[in-house]
Amino acid sequence: MALNHLEFSYDGVAGASIPADWSHSGVVGSGDMEVLLTRKAQGGKVVVKVCTPVCGFDQVWDKVLAHFVAESGCGDLVIEINDNNATPFIVSLRLQQALSEARGGDLQ
Amino acid sequence: MQRRQWDTLHQDRMQRLAAAEQAVGPGKIVAARDTVKLLEAVIQPGDKVNLEGCNQKQADFLAEKLCRVDPKKVYGLHFVQSSITLDSHIRLFEKGIAEKIDFSYSGAKAGALAEGVRSGKIKLGDIHTYLELFGRYFIDLIPRVALVAAYAADREGNLYTGANTEDTPVIVEAAKFKQGIVIAQVNQIVEHLPRVDIPADWVDFVVESPRPFYLEPLFTRDPALITESQILRAMMAIKGIYAEYGVQTVNHGIGFDTAAIELLLPTYGESLGLKGKICSSFALNPHPTLIPAIESGWVENICCFGGELGMEEYVAARPDVFWIGPDGSPRSNRTYAQVAGHYAVDMFVGGTLQIDADGNSSTATADRIAGFGGAPNMGCDPRGRRHASDAWLKCGAETGSTAETLGETPRGRRLVVQLQETFREKMKPGFVDRLDAWELRDAAGLALPPVMIYGDDVTHIVTEVGIAYLHKCRDLEERRAAIRAVAGYTEIGMRADPRQTKDLRRRGIVKMPADLEIDPAKAKRSLLAAQTIRDLVAWSGGLYHPPGKFKNW
Amino acid sequence: MNTDGLMEMSFYSATARRRASQLVDPGTFSELLAPNDRLVSPHLPELGEAVSFDDGVVTGVGRIGARPVFLISQEGRFIGGAVGEIHGAKMVGIFRLALQAYETILDREGRVPEERRPAILISFDTGGVRLHEANAGLLAHAEIMDMIQETKGKIPVISLIGSKVGCFGGMGFVAAATDVIVMSSLGRLGLTGPEVIEQEIGKEEFDASDKSLISRTTGGRHRYIMQDCNVLVDDTIRAFRRAVEEILALPYEEICHYRRIGTYPLVQEQMALVQQAAELMPGDSMDVWRCYGNDEPELLPEWELSEFLCAVRRRPKEVP
Repeated sequence: MALNHLEFSYDGVAGASIPADWSHSGVVGSGDMEVLLTRKAQGGKVVVKVCTPVCGFDQVWDKVLAHFVAESGCGDLVIEINDNNATPFIVSLRLQQALSEARGGDLQ
Repeated sequence: MQRRQWDTLHQDRMQRLAAAEQAVGPGKIVAARDTVKLLEAVIQPGDKVNLEGCNQKQADFLAEKLCRVDPKKVYGLHFVQSSITLDSHIRLFEKGIAEKIDFSYSGAKAGALAEGVRSGKIKLGDIHTYLELFGRYFIDLIPRVALVAAYAADREGNLYTGANTEDTPVIVEAAKFKQGIVIAQVNQIVEHLPRVDIPADWVDFVVESPRPFYLEPLFTRDPALITESQILRAMMAIKGIYAEYGVQTVNHGIGFDTAAIELLLPTYGESLGLKGKICSSFALNPHPTLIPAIESGWVENICCFGGELGMEEYVAARPDVFWIGPDGSPRSNRTYAQVAGHYAVDMFVGGTLQIDADGNSSTATADRIAGFGGAPNMGCDPRGRRHASDAWLKCGAETGSTAETLGETPRGRRLVVQLQETFREKMKPGFVDRLDAWELRDAAGLALPPVMIYGDDVTHIVTEVGIAYLHKCRDLEERRAAIRAVAGYTEIGMRADPRQTKDLRRRGIVKMPADLEIDPAKAKRSLLAAQTIRDLVAWSGGLYHPPGKFKNW
Repeated sequence: MNTDGLMEMSFYSATARRRASQLVDPGTFSELLAPNDRLVSPHLPELGEAVSFDDGVVTGVGRIGARPVFLISQEGRFIGGAVGEIHGAKMVGIFRLALQAYETILDREGRVPEERRPAILISFDTGGVRLHEANAGLLAHAEIMDMIQETKGKIPVISLIGSKVGCFGGMGFVAAATDVIVMSSLGRLGLTGPEVIEQEIGKEEFDASDKSLISRTTGGRHRYIMQDCNVLVDDTIRAFRRAVEEILALPYEEICHYRRIGTYPLVQEQMALVQQAAELMPGDSMDVWRCYGNDEPELLPEWELSEFLCAVRRRPKEVP
């Protein structure tokens, strides 16, 4: 019954982190998630830690996250996610929003 | 040669009427307290009975009284009716009063129905579409007794069914003209009806119900619950399908996806300059979410299957758009609207629960017998259609398999559009290798898996990933590839070959948001013309009166 | 960033963090025990339930003018804003900090000037105790009630209710014990929530799917008529903010007059209300509204707020 902790690592773009030490966005509502971004110089690497009650979607997480890192061109980041049954569409959307908020974009 | 007696049905009917007179006295108007006696007098074991109820109005008082008849006198009934959706419907089977059901839609009782079939208490005839079932009322499922609901009756027994006329005319006609018995429950008996929807000589008995018949606001969607994912699919559908084909005549399904489309017409649709070019005529219930588009001048005509609770005053105040009686109040007629939806609209757009790798879709699950309603009659290509329109011709011309099946003869085609989220809540995949409908077939002993819309009828699938223009595919293998390309991170989607997807995009068989010049980040709730039920009331100028269930003030 | 636009934003749909930061002067909000402290519930993982870095409550401090303002803002979207161990401890912590700030000013200056008297704002969005960690949650409720008593005579505590979940369960008691209650029409305040009433007594007693019924019996307008809510505002963060400013501009003694319970005469007034309900036997809140002189009670929910505030007749207060 315990929560699942998943960890992934991707090659991102060195120096393409966020301006502040950390940035948070999203709410762990039903079907939703929160994202905590932390700046960390690690040769461009992006480390993602997911905490979720859902089992059996490790491969889906991996694909969605890999796609996000590649498309967004981010790097030198630790991304921590508390998930509560977010769909892949919501995961992608929240990650984009988190990055754009961290970079001082529009708060929506 | 022995002379055949030609009026046995009539004789039978006269015997039943005589029994009724003996039980409750003479006259058409029967006191509510005598209803059980009346039913016991006119219904005989094994009768085919139509207990009116569709996805909107219900003859619920008569249903409850029928539960109280003596199961030793009245038993083994065969129900032939649109819906099985009330507690009392299920109780009739538990008590043995009813034995078999032929129906179309079950909604909230889908689970109880499946359980009843499994336990052997309910014998399942067939699951139909509305039109199909109505057709059988005149061939091999002729009701002996019809129990219907109306707003009001006069002393002669004329009925006023008003905005919720729905199935009543077809049921009464099927029963009455084959010498059956018609009993109506009415909310009130009045001196003068606003208009006559069913003439008195088609009605045998009228019971004034102590409370109004139950009406389900099934087509009310609260805009507050529309998600960004639905808005994105709606934007893609409007730009990639409605605008692409210039579709003027449309039927929408019941879900939030189409509610999103309705609420985007006056905003996003307007910004694309589509007003007047799409969506001018609908076969559709009076969806409250269509109010902003109507008020903004998008819609010329709406032909309704039924009435929607709270919309009566609004509908009556827009007689150019809706169908209104000489008395000024709305009417609906499910049969005619279903015929319109089948033959006279160019496009069906709806959501579903599961789509398989071949494009078949179903809302059935192994433990729920939900039925079809009217969707399959609209979510198909009407092969009998002969009149042409631009959208129909374009879709037909694009059809990739015509050369293989028909040769050179040109033919049009209806657009059948499925809006689908790749994953629903709790990560339930929207695309599956095998529909749950197969399991239901085995569990319920059906001849076929209950497929709502067959893959070869679907022309477009819209997901948040993209649109698959399935009808353009040349064969099944290509269709499967197009489905995989828009199935996202589901197991089916993950089998997509990126090179093949690229080729399908190049050929316009798959279009992603970027191909349609749509930025998914722009899919915001602020795009909706109304974001709450209260906004809809404001759009209606106070003419829409939402039921308490939807009204948070 | 254009904060003007954000202030016009619906209070109802704003996240807890947005509400907290927008209720004080721009740029002054500091979150305490923020998400990067990662203080998640120790109990939820055992049950396989999703956790949140802030455990569903935003706590922090900001300023309105010269006044330090301590904030608690609950997030109803995370497990219905339910109060568990961490969530409750964060709330208690804010009360302690606010009282410390009061004592520090008093020690240093010998008195607390009105314009710098600390205040506590609680933006409720909760169904009460988190059942997954009910003992800790209940204990937190008791501690918070204690802390509210500690604030009496020192610092004002203002309840703001206008979010999705409303304010129910034990937190309904907590709100009642604060000095002032500000609501919007969309705010909901009660003890036993609608679903629980339906579950325990039946659908005939209370149909929890009837949103209009819920609004009529627990909503901001009903609470305002009944004098349970002191100030009724529009559903914008700006409107709540303005109400807070106006309340805090009053001398502390005057703010205390907003209290609905806590003195013997007020208790008597509540008892008289119970008596009145027993005599009237209302079938619906509208019967009560009519009894206070609202001749067309069915129109009250339909009006715009400004029209409502002009026309409404509230329960006559016996204790001025």
